[in-house]
Amino acid sequence: MDALITRAQLISRGAKGGAALAVAGMAIGPLVENAAAALPTMDLAYARLLVGAELLASDFYTQAINAANTGRVVTKYLKRAYANEQEHYQSVAGILSGAGVTPAVSTDITFSYPAGSFDTQKSILALANTLETTILGTYLGAVGGIQTTTLLQGIAQIASCEAQHLSYFTSVSGGKAFDLSFPPALTIDQASDAMSAYTS
Amino acid sequence: MRIRTFGGLMAIAVLCALLGAASAGAKSSKEAAGVSGLTIFAGSSMTTVLPAIDPNNTYSFGSTTSLGTQITNGAPADVLMGANTTETALLYSQGKCEKPVNYTRNTLAVLVPKSNPAGIKSIYDLTKPGITIDEAASSVPVGSYTVQVLNQMGINTAIQANVVSQETDDASVVSKVATGQVDAGFAYLSDYVIDPNQVSLITVPAWAQPKIQYAMCVVTASPNQTQAQAWVNQVLDSTSQALFVKDGFLPITAPVPTLTKLSITSGKAGAKVTLTGTNFTGTTSVTFKGVAAKFTVVSGTKITVTVPAKAKTGTITVTNPSGTATSSKSFTVK
Repeated sequence: MDALITRAQLISRGAKGGAALAVAGMAIGPLVENAAAALPTMDLAYARLLVGAELLASDFYTQAINAANTGRVVTKYLKRAYANEQEHYQSVAGILSGAGVTPAVSTDITFSYPAGSFDTQKSILALANTLETTILGTYLGAVGGIQTTTLLQGIAQIASCEAQHLSYFTSVSGGKAFDLSFPPALTIDQASDAMSAYTS
Repeated sequence: MRIRTFGGLMAIAVLCALLGAASAGAKSSKEAAGVSGLTIFAGSSMTTVLPAIDPNNTYSFGSTTSLGTQITNGAPADVLMGANTTETALLYSQGKCEKPVNYTRNTLAVLVPKSNPAGIKSIYDLTKPGITIDEAASSVPVGSYTVQVLNQMGINTAIQANVVSQETDDASVVSKVATGQVDAGFAYLSDYVIDPNQVSLITVPAWAQPKIQYAMCVVTASPNQTQAQAWVNQVLDSTSQALFVKDGFLPITAPVPTLTKLSITSGKAGAKVTLTGTNFTGTTSVTFKGVAAKFTVVSGTKITVTVPAKAKTGTITVTNPSGTATSSKSFTVK
């Protein structure tokens, strides 16, 4: 689906016909539909956290791609992961904008990474594993913490995508493509503190 | 309100010297010291940085809200340097000051005593029962930002239950934290950077940070309009901005660029195009339908760019840290 489609366009399509909204996609559709409603304070807090997580992910993939220190296949997956994160951002930012809240944008947060993070393919994959573990845990925590049940499907779909990222980067690093039956969910404070390690 | 009068101290010293010499017809103390003589009303988070920019003004530091009220009531200030954008905007709407200009940004922070007796490691620890917290009243900027952050994180109710005191400015919060009267307090990052020896820092998550912009304005009733405007320009220059950053403030955000004119609308790879628009200073990239091009920022309104080898026909974009401008017309690559 077109990630650049605006929230207003989505809602407009939804108003014109259910089929159009269905075409709009399974991930963004459910979130945007609910964004227009008043949301509980904690749901808005989670949405802000998820926006921050997506900005972190997008920033990481941008820097990883620009470093040009990965092989052709890995670079292809980095670019695909970046595209996924961009669509996720549009989706979770739509929760906030639909509730009348301005979501953070890339220029609002300055991210920083340990020295040498982008020097080699090995270091890039190691950081990708760490970040994707955090982001997956953040989304899984949101599934458990968000009260608006109609938001949960979209959040779970994004969590699934993040798990795919983690699986690929783990296996290409020489680790197991999958292992845990129940990957850990992070509480909002655990997720926030983990992400704060990458802000300056 | 605390008053730090560097010019006044120097004036006294000079005056004493003049009296000692019984020098008739001596210059005024301000003239002798070469001071501008401006009276600057400023938020208390500016206590260190403004005298570093120019020690020869008279500074009155306090809560932005209180200082604004004083100006409304006729206090003789030349410039108001707020810790938000709302107070100067209010005065501007009332005709009490000239058009406000943003001059710096800040970040909210949690400060704890050096000994950190409550063992606070995260802002979420402040929700635990028994923690004592100091904050500024919500009627002043730092207090308003505090409530905004806590609401955005969904923890305002839990934290307010632990608030034992409210202050009129951030400096008072820092003082109570430093002396161990409370377990934690909300202030600005700059309060910590200025003197990191008296308190420890707990960061507020970037995803929950409010946009803390500071704006200043020349007071309309000031008899020193020219000097006051010169001060505004001085605060915005690179030397002063470096001092703000050194004290923990953030540099002012560059405005989003606009792109109004292309010198040519078609050309081959290697051709030179002059772009006209605004806010080009700080440009980070210029692209031809997404293909990055080599460019030179000639001025804030002019960029020269070379059509890149792989350029395709399409729009030209100019990007700076605040946003992107896109040409209304397409550039045709021959």
